[in-house]
Amino acid sequence: MLTLHTSGGGTWFKPGGLLEGRATWHLDEDAEAIEIRLFWYTAGKGTQDVGIVRSIRVDMPERSGHRDFSFLVPEGPYSFSGKLVTLAWAVELIALPGGETERLDLQIGPQPVEVDLR
Amino acid sequence: MSARVTARERPADNPFASHRIERLVYRADGTSLVGLFERLEEIGGRGVIVGPKGSGKSTLLEELASALPGKQVVVQLDGSCPRPWQQTKHRLPTPVTARHTVFIDGGERLGVVAWKRLLRTTRAAAYLVATMHRPGRLPTLIECRPDLAVLSDLVSELAPTEAQALEPHLGQLFHRHGGNIRSCLRELYDVYAGRSNFQF
Repeated sequence: MLTLHTSGGGTWFKPGGLLEGRATWHLDEDAEAIEIRLFWYTAGKGTQDVGIVRSIRVDMPERSGHRDFSFLVPEGPYSFSGKLVTLAWAVELIALPGGETERLDLQIGPQPVEVDLR
Repeated sequence: MSARVTARERPADNPFASHRIERLVYRADGTSLVGLFERLEEIGGRGVIVGPKGSGKSTLLEELASALPGKQVVVQLDGSCPRPWQQTKHRLPTPVTARHTVFIDGGERLGVVAWKRLLRTTRAAAYLVATMHRPGRLPTLIECRPDLAVLSDLVSELAPTEAQALEPHLGQLFHRHGGNIRSCLRELYDVYAGRSNFQF
């Protein structure tokens, strides 16, 4: 089981701010590594695109453990939705190789709602 | 540029968004993956998945790639690729050995000479599977046929709450897109987003 929490429980972060939280895992099998990734992705009518912006890797983790993380939130792109595409942010916890994942959706931008470009 | 985008309007929440379509599994018309493996062995480990555009060839190829043993090499050739053989060669390991399984998505983009080069380059590979619009270059592994029942099934999976309202229109949609299911689903994206005359 994997869980992700931000400090204070918020999911809105301003560009240039600090995203802090804790990743916790209880694995059924040994993993090569645990990665915590801050990334954006697009979804909509076209081909999906993904950009991993920051990541923290824990090699050969214990089956149960936790790791506090801290990411500097980049200046952009903001979370937005247009007519054809949404750009969304998330932080993800993944057990490698190719194991369980947990994702926490985020809003990145000057306001606590995604930008509407329609 | 300030109001909150509602769930129905967000492209990411559209049930026909591409990331949801890509997660669909191939409706194999009674043929299991195990059955396909057996067929692939029967035809010497080299075969083509044949079918028109949007009939599920690429989806099936991906499923095979995730299930077949060996080190997978997947080459995707789309219409935007000006030099398909160069792209293919660039993706293939040197040398291709019996540890490799090679998948070519869009094999019809390789001309006759390039196809012969591909066969020569990959002769040691454990398996070679390509998608094609027409049979003939290798034994046919399976033929994907467009089917209205498959479209109906996929719509029910993607948008269960709208499926009943959409059902009477699917035949017309399927016909208008010439049986190209992927193209049908792309139009349904616009329908759901309120950007098409075809409403439900």
